[in-house]
Amino acid sequence: MCFKLAVACPSILPEANHRREKIGVSSSGVHVYLYGMQNPVISVEHLFKSYRKVRAVLDLNFEVFPRTCVAFLGPNGAGKTTTMKMLYGKAAPDGNPKTKITVFGTDPRRDELSIKAIAGVAPQEENLDLELNVVQNLRIFANFYRMRGRAATARIEELLRFMELSEKRTARVRELSGGMKRRLIIARALLNRPRLLILDEPTTGLDPQVRRLIWEKLHNLMKTEGVTILLTTHYMEEAYQLADNIVIMDKGRKVIEGEPRRLLSDNIEKYVLELLDPSLQARVEHNGNLNGCRKDGDAQRVLYYSEDLQSLERLSAEIKQRDYIIRESNLEDLFLQTTGRRLNELQ
Amino acid sequence: MSSSSLRYPPLWNRVGSVWYRHLRVYSQNLISNALPPFLEPLIFLVGIGVGLGQFIGRMDGVPYIEYLASGLLVTTAMFTAAFECSFGTYIRLEFDKVYDGMLAAPITVTNLLVGEVLWAATKGLVFSLTVLIIASVFGILNPATAALAPIVGFMTGAMFGAFGLVATSIVNNISQFNFLFSGFLSPMFFFSGVVFPISRLPAVVRPLAEVLPLTHPVRLARAIALDRLEPIIVWDVAYMLIVTVGLTILAIVRLRRRLVD
Ligand SMILES: Nc1ncnc2c1ncn2[C@@H]1O[C@H](COP(=O)(O)OP(=O)(O)O)[C@@H](O)[C@H]1O
Ligand SMILES: [Mg+2]
Repeated sequence: MCFKLAVACPSILPEANHRREKIGVSSSGVHVYLYGMQNPVISVEHLFKSYRKVRAVLDLNFEVFPRTCVAFLGPNGAGKTTTMKMLYGKAAPDGNPKTKITVFGTDPRRDELSIKAIAGVAPQEENLDLELNVVQNLRIFANFYRMRGRAATARIEELLRFMELSEKRTARVRELSGGMKRRLIIARALLNRPRLLILDEPTTGLDPQVRRLIWEKLHNLMKTEGVTILLTTHYMEEAYQLADNIVIMDKGRKVIEGEPRRLLSDNIEKYVLELLDPSLQARVEHNGNLNGCRKDGDAQRVLYYSEDLQSLERLSAEIKQRDYIIRESNLEDLFLQTTGRRLNELQ
Repeated sequence: MSSSSLRYPPLWNRVGSVWYRHLRVYSQNLISNALPPFLEPLIFLVGIGVGLGQFIGRMDGVPYIEYLASGLLVTTAMFTAAFECSFGTYIRLEFDKVYDGMLAAPITVTNLLVGEVLWAATKGLVFSLTVLIIASVFGILNPATAALAPIVGFMTGAMFGAFGLVATSIVNNISQFNFLFSGFLSPMFFFSGVVFPISRLPAVVRPLAEVLPLTHPVRLARAIALDRLEPIIVWDVAYMLIVTVGLTILAIVRLRRRLVD
């Protein structure tokens, strides 16, 4: 690992994708940063994958730095799962000479075992042994990591406590709720104390409480154990809550990428007026006067964006309260703006 | 990242943990899993051996029931192994998706499939041993001479396990395995020297019997059980080893396409 010291005013520091850690502020007020040179845990360049006619991943580039969480956000079929699978050898990328994939410095096409030994993977689809109970499921996987006897038992108990599954220790998986199964799959991915967690839609289909519980657990892992997390989701809130960096994917391509708050502030106006009934457009836009706001939307709803709350309030002055919402813009709006489609739209 | 942290479990552990997984899941419902294949040879032995034996008397120089029992030593091994690696593997692959979970752990496709074959071989060993015990209890076979026959059961299990995996790599849906069982394995049962010697087959089809995979473990098991070791069993052992390795490699190549997207 090599380090480069930068002594600079914060404003002129190169931003890019490089992580930096502030290591001090000198007496003259100059910030001292250690930046950029922590090797990424995952580094992907020019990744392509096609399934016969379907082009699932197209020229994807991204990096994931240690102790951070990167979320892949995108609608169904965007290529998120395929991307995850290519990181641990479960899917084979197209043979393109420009393609580079390294995970912990190792290319999964050459050596998937080394990667899987220190990563934990929770695939999208449930794949537990339904006839076995919770502990038995974990014990079988402990064996894959060569953990046996007391060490395995201790680790399993620890994870059951962590994932709040201790009471279900001897319940057959068949009898567990969806949220419990998902927690069990995550617990299973944690058996080997992974330095990297790859989670494919860890909370899809779960109720809000369970989703929050899982977010809290993942957050803990990152903060207290320094685990690097790569997850996919089509819930923008999940990406917003957990991720240091968001990659928005659509149709196999990276649409946009960045730190969540900056992603919004750099790319979209701060506020949005959402018209729930598109036929009200005429009343809002008194003779085509948008009051300096930008208009976007689809057949179901119309959106007006502005940096300035008052402009939106003026637009909505003549319509009833229940026909519109004024709110801060979010990733969903950004996705709509860049792709013309909604995140949860089926393809 | 120091390279010493990039360590993964050794080969035996990777293959062994696949085997262990199957053992755990199988023994969870031991009675319903193991009783039918256990009863099958027993019924056959009593029904055909005792019943038909009264009319046949001796075959190939031994009492008919002894002849039949020495053949049945490996047929249950064949059926359970083929079943395990066809229906069983297909369900794990397509319905339960357990391989997707397992391949997220540090094992490779090759480790996984070799584990399947070893598990099928183990079932072959166990069922062959069970038939031997039953036949010994009834005084049909001599356990002292036949003690090594379950090893042939192991080899039979491995060969038909690999065979089942290749079938799994070919079928488009699970019902197509019926072709394998009704169209191939069951007829083969009657033409591989289990119920009557292949020397009694018409001369034109006799070479065909020599190609059928079941002929070899049957002849080998019988040679051991009846203590009649002849040079031809070298050919039987060679056939089984070559076919097992060949089918396993073929299964790995073909199933890799299903397991790795
Ligand atoms: N095994 C496969 N065979 C054929 N097509 C596939 C396979 N897996 C995924 N695809 C296709 O690749 C595209 C990307 O899928 P996927 O990576 O699963 O998207 P996401 O996880 O973002 O929903 C989709 O069009 C999907 O239909
Ligand atoms: Mg997916």
